Amino acid sequence: MDSIDPDVVVDMCGAALGAPDGGRPLLAEGVDWVVRRGEAWLVTGPMNAGKSALLETVAGLRPLAAGSLRVMGQRWEDLRGDDLVALRRRVGLVFEGRGRLFPGMTVVENVALPLCYHGNLSLSDAAQEVDDWLDEAGLMPMASETAGRLSPAWARRVALVRALVLRPELVLLDDPLAGLDASHGPWWEAFLGRLRHGHPRWNGQGPALLITSGLPRSIPALGSGVRYAVMEARRWREVGDGRDESTSREPGSCGGVPSRDGSASRG
Amino acid sequence: MSRRLDEAPPGSQPSSLVPDEPWVRWMAWAPWLGNGIETARQVGAFALIAAGTLVTERRRATRVIGPLVQSQVARAGVRVLPIICFMGVAIGALIVSQTTLLLVQVGQADLVGPLLATVVVRELAPLTAALVVLARVGTATVAELGLARAMGEVEALEALGIDPVHYLVVPRLVGMSAAVVCLAAYLVLTSLGAGYVVAFMRGLAMTPGDFAGAVAGALSWVDFPLLALKTAGFGVLTSMIICFHGLARPLRMEEVGEATTRTVAHTLVACVVLDGLFVPVYMAL
Repeated sequence: MDSIDPDVVVDMCGAALGAPDGGRPLLAEGVDWVVRRGEAWLVTGPMNAGKSALLETVAGLRPLAAGSLRVMGQRWEDLRGDDLVALRRRVGLVFEGRGRLFPGMTVVENVALPLCYHGNLSLSDAAQEVDDWLDEAGLMPMASETAGRLSPAWARRVALVRALVLRPELVLLDDPLAGLDASHGPWWEAFLGRLRHGHPRWNGQGPALLITSGLPRSIPALGSGVRYAVMEARRWREVGDGRDESTSREPGSCGGVPSRDGSASRG
Repeated sequence: MSRRLDEAPPGSQPSSLVPDEPWVRWMAWAPWLGNGIETARQVGAFALIAAGTLVTERRRATRVIGPLVQSQVARAGVRVLPIICFMGVAIGALIVSQTTLLLVQVGQADLVGPLLATVVVRELAPLTAALVVLARVGTATVAELGLARAMGEVEALEALGIDPVHYLVVPRLVGMSAAVVCLAAYLVLTSLGAGYVVAFMRGLAMTPGDFAGAVAGALSWVDFPLLALKTAGFGVLTSMIICFHGLARPLRMEEVGEATTRTVAHTLVACVVLDGLFVPVYMAL
């Protein structure tokens, strides 16, 4: 039996991304992608290139049209019940735009929902942790506001906190910097930098970050070692870390993800 | 020479599909019936998933699901209570005022109570409670769930590891079913009370105790579990059809209104069919 490299959090091989039901039309083909623990990736591309579909596929919300995907060594389609819930808790997704908050619930209720549901807690039980998160995100003044009344920028910040409260090992952010003004943009960049370089809530080890952007850009706060990829004209192209053209997967290695020590392992 | 379009071409055999034949007219119902059966199958499958989730996830997140069930009971039950009481009073008063005169003429005025009890307990209370919940809460719930689906909130729940069926459907299934059962009981009580008052005002010489005795004599003990079973069945049917049309299919914003209309039609038909299934049971009593 093949072994799984525990260092690999996303292993996508020959993947084709399609419509929400996994069918046509295809948005991208031939995606070979390996994301390792603690890495930060910035995926750019024009509108409708399939960036959102890529993140939703990694998050297990839409099936692949072709190819294979393992997240933390597991295939979404093999998981049921508690195993599925356990893997979902390890992956945090921040949707684009307003972040798909629950508009009838307050900011506190939105953020507390995953904590209360998975920990079987009442709202008062989770209040301290929620307050800490809201405080860090500068959301305390609007804690009791209904989410539907927030501006898009603040709503996206609530969606970020909601995705992070379970301390996922893999954080997917769908175009988080789009359309932010001068007050929100720097905060996001600084926060992503803190996540990347070891947020205290992750015991100093940051989660793997997969960030999409509609504009070709870099995020200086993420520091060096950020990996880049471009999705364009149904093609996936890795452009290394800006200094070389290295790819996350060795050519022809879909049968086995190369470990850091060079040996091939595969589930 | 021109030929009329409805004339058969020369030399052809007369068509066997003559529109006037009764079986051809019946065949026109086939697609409608087929759609109905297919929808019933889909709602049934959806209900099985919901029932399975209710059982397997009964211990998960009780501090989140419990308050949601309570809010559904409040929404579909407590807030609907005034209109149910109004309906109960109206039904009791109308039935008694329409039947008293007739029964007095045939010398059977004592049957007012039993007649009212039989009609209300066995037929009108369950059906009215379900339809009031459908009209007052169900349509709003379909729109609410349909919008949640259209706005991607269901995917947001899944991304957080929260089963949408557990979070959105189970509280509505339990809450609405409990609400319909309770509302039917209130409707029975208010209609019997109003019926007695109207009968008394029309000169029926019965004390409240005699009236209650006549009502009790008209019903057997089986009527009460059957009333609970029937109302719970209506509640389950109503909530499942509501959640099915709101959630089971991907909806666009412009389709939400149509889904609401479809829900009302399907729930009406389903409740009447279920009502019909109880008729042989009551006839056997």
